[in-house]
Amino acid sequence: MANGDNPLSSHSLEKQFETFRTELEESGTLRDRIRSVVSEIESTTRVMYATLLLVHQSRSIDELLEKAKSQIDVLKEKYKQLAQILGGCSGQYYRYHGDWKSETQSVVSLLTFMHWLETGSLLEHKEAEDKLGLNNSEFGLDVEDYLIGLCFMSNELPRYVVNQVTAGDYDCPRKVLKFLTDLHAAFRLLNLRNDFLRKKFDGMKYDLRKVEEVYYDVKIRGLTPNGESVGDKGVEG
Amino acid sequence: MATKPQRLHQSKLTLFLSLSVAGTNLQNSAKRARTMATSSEATNESSPMKDAFTKYAQYLNDLNDKRERVVKASRDITMNSKKVIFQVHRLSKYNRDEVLEKAEKDLAAVTDQYISRLVRELQGTDFWKLRRAYSPGIQEYVEAATFCSFCKNGTLLKLDEINNTLLPLSDPSIEPLQINILDYLLGIADLTGELMRLAIGRISDGELEFAEKICRFARDIYRELTLVVPHMDASSDMKTKMDTMLQSVMKIENACFSVRVRGSEYIPLLGSNDPSSFLVGVPDIEL
Repeated sequence: MANGDNPLSSHSLEKQFETFRTELEESGTLRDRIRSVVSEIESTTRVMYATLLLVHQSRSIDELLEKAKSQIDVLKEKYKQLAQILGGCSGQYYRYHGDWKSETQSVVSLLTFMHWLETGSLLEHKEAEDKLGLNNSEFGLDVEDYLIGLCFMSNELPRYVVNQVTAGDYDCPRKVLKFLTDLHAAFRLLNLRNDFLRKKFDGMKYDLRKVEEVYYDVKIRGLTPNGESVGDKGVEG
Repeated sequence: MATKPQRLHQSKLTLFLSLSVAGTNLQNSAKRARTMATSSEATNESSPMKDAFTKYAQYLNDLNDKRERVVKASRDITMNSKKVIFQVHRLSKYNRDEVLEKAEKDLAAVTDQYISRLVRELQGTDFWKLRRAYSPGIQEYVEAATFCSFCKNGTLLKLDEINNTLLPLSDPSIEPLQINILDYLLGIADLTGELMRLAIGRISDGELEFAEKICRFARDIYRELTLVVPHMDASSDMKTKMDTMLQSVMKIENACFSVRVRGSEYIPLLGSNDPSSFLVGVPDIEL
């Protein structure tokens, strides 16, 4: 009797595992589709980044921004495709999140950098979502990805400041320092866990220090434009 | 001239000072109170950047609190599922029914008390976002449930069957919490370790037939899992589990082998064991 029920149970066992295999295979196919779109996002981001790198060579910012901005629509389209791929399985955003996480963080860093170059202000989470067309509830921009993207953007700023000063823009360090100080202060409102975001945020203080040093170097040599920092003016003479 | 650099140095100093203060502060429990004070200051200043970050802070606080609650629920599930597993190990041919009855009752208590807490927390996207926080507990729960069920029915409790028992915990209006395939499979992988312990125990109790049945069962699971593992998402920890599984299966096989070979000199043990008695009949006979 004990042996009798065994083949039967082993059969139903097999059947269950067969269903699992099918389901996991489907999930794997979905993941492959996601990955192919994500790799396109990655290469678009690369094109944008290469364009933006020209700011370090003091090219006309307007021209660069225009060129880089033309890629945003491409990104928007790709994110739309991602949302469509996931459309069938709502609530599984975070199951596949790892596949587009780091690419999206780079996208955020570029968008916020561009926005800062253009307006001198911070592109907020909501605005970043709007730019990427991610404002529907199913497929959004993860807040942590956005914040990590900001940290990546901060990493760009020291180099930008150094090269701007070399090119003769002595007011740049002051602006960047103000922005980065505000950003750093704002980040300190967050209670972070011991995770990647925390690590990235911890790195931000080195960007801040570097920009402070550039500002200091420029200022101590009296290179800052006149009319700056009223309090120090008397000492100068 | 001298005041300028000094002032700048000062500002640098204050920055690093405040950084280190913030650093140590994160470690202690005063953290929450302090940040709340800062955030209210921020709204007073009402710069758009700080306003935005106050929102992100709120989001992160809520998420972390929830994660913390989920981790706690998961720990409770693990702890109490382990108790169920120990209860099943107390099984012998004399007390089978009462031991299993108690184990089932304990398992039902785990479901009602602790799994229900998870169900309340995990809604919508949380299910996948916080998976790492609750997965260990669920795996242990799957292990306990399948272990219990195998001892009672001699078959593998299916994922659908487990999920059906979870249905009443959810509010009918929302999508019910269902254990996903990955956690189920990871739980099943751990089950073999318990089966090995059980088999060794049964052999020393003379229940060779039962031990051989466990052996076949563990082998079946190992074989089926071999086919599924390559399709699993993060298969690295599953691969180590597969190695330990094979070890467990081999331990059972070797134990069965030893008893067969050496036990042949000890006829009464093997001979008296009526094949039908090991699961169904034993308690009646002994009582």
